[in-house]
Amino acid sequence: MDKSEQTKPLVVVTGAGRGLGLAICKQCLEQGYRVVAISRTLSAELKGLQESNFDDLYFEPFDLIELDDIHHLCKTIIANYGRPYGLINNAAVGFDGVLATMHNSEISSLLNINVQAPILLAKYLSRSMMLNRGGRIINVSSIIASTGFNGLSVYAASKAALEGFTRSLAREVGKANITVNCVAPGYMQTDMTESLQGEKLESVKRRSPLGKLATPDDAAAAVLYLLSQHAKSVTGTVLTVDAGSTA
Amino acid sequence: MTDLRDTILDSMRQVALISDCTLVDDIDDDTVLLQSGLDSLGFAMLVAQLEEEFNVDPFSEMELAVYPRTLGEFVSVYQSALQPSE
Repeated sequence: MDKSEQTKPLVVVTGAGRGLGLAICKQCLEQGYRVVAISRTLSAELKGLQESNFDDLYFEPFDLIELDDIHHLCKTIIANYGRPYGLINNAAVGFDGVLATMHNSEISSLLNINVQAPILLAKYLSRSMMLNRGGRIINVSSIIASTGFNGLSVYAASKAALEGFTRSLAREVGKANITVNCVAPGYMQTDMTESLQGEKLESVKRRSPLGKLATPDDAAAAVLYLLSQHAKSVTGTVLTVDAGSTA
Repeated sequence: MTDLRDTILDSMRQVALISDCTLVDDIDDDTVLLQSGLDSLGFAMLVAQLEEEFNVDPFSEMELAVYPRTLGEFVSVYQSALQPSE
């Protein structure tokens, strides 16, 4: 059967190579979705997942810094695999450093990858969802959007921007039966947070009510809930998964 | 031009159906788009529908953000975008 004629709903996941994105891909496949996995490179883990889900996982290599090519990427996805049901804007970069000495090019590329790329993906893929009269857009934020963290001011700005975007877009596309939500994970042990080690890491764990960190699987489960029909009346909200750290 | 206008009008009717809008009667080239009965979300759906039909979204390809006011102008934008490049 042509891939675009499959009946399983199609979900587009960015940053699919590692960490939370990979966990989202795994859970989507387990729950009967087809997945377009977008990542700069095919990681060994994603390759393994692709080999065991050849019919349902499609890898699209793409670097989201290439903003001008996002429209073409979306057209290719729709032409090859059909209209998507869901978009998971998970990819992000998290350069840390004191703002006063952060290079302007780093500020600019962080905002392009973390804010503008997800907005453009939502722009072009929500069109298909409108024609389907339904869909799900889930933006991966962070508790840093609403708390503070030394050395992550630009990252925090990008995540707060995504949350603002989520609320207004939810109002805009609700009439087309598309929901737009955020999942805000706390600190998770992924490659992105590997700089958080030792005493700092122990302190984050100690302060959480559950005495541990949330895992990528915990945050992925929240994404899967928002994708599901159970969440059909949930839109414009932020679902925090942080083992209670911000309680 | 007439064929293109007919295709666009057909798409407007389809989109009106799925977006719960009612098109006004007697739409012609001078009809102001925002008074045609489609709301702004309806127009987004129309652009999406036409992109699937023609594989082109002239508004994304424009250098500047210019939006047509009337149906005639809207059809012209698509006509220019669909002309084979010389």
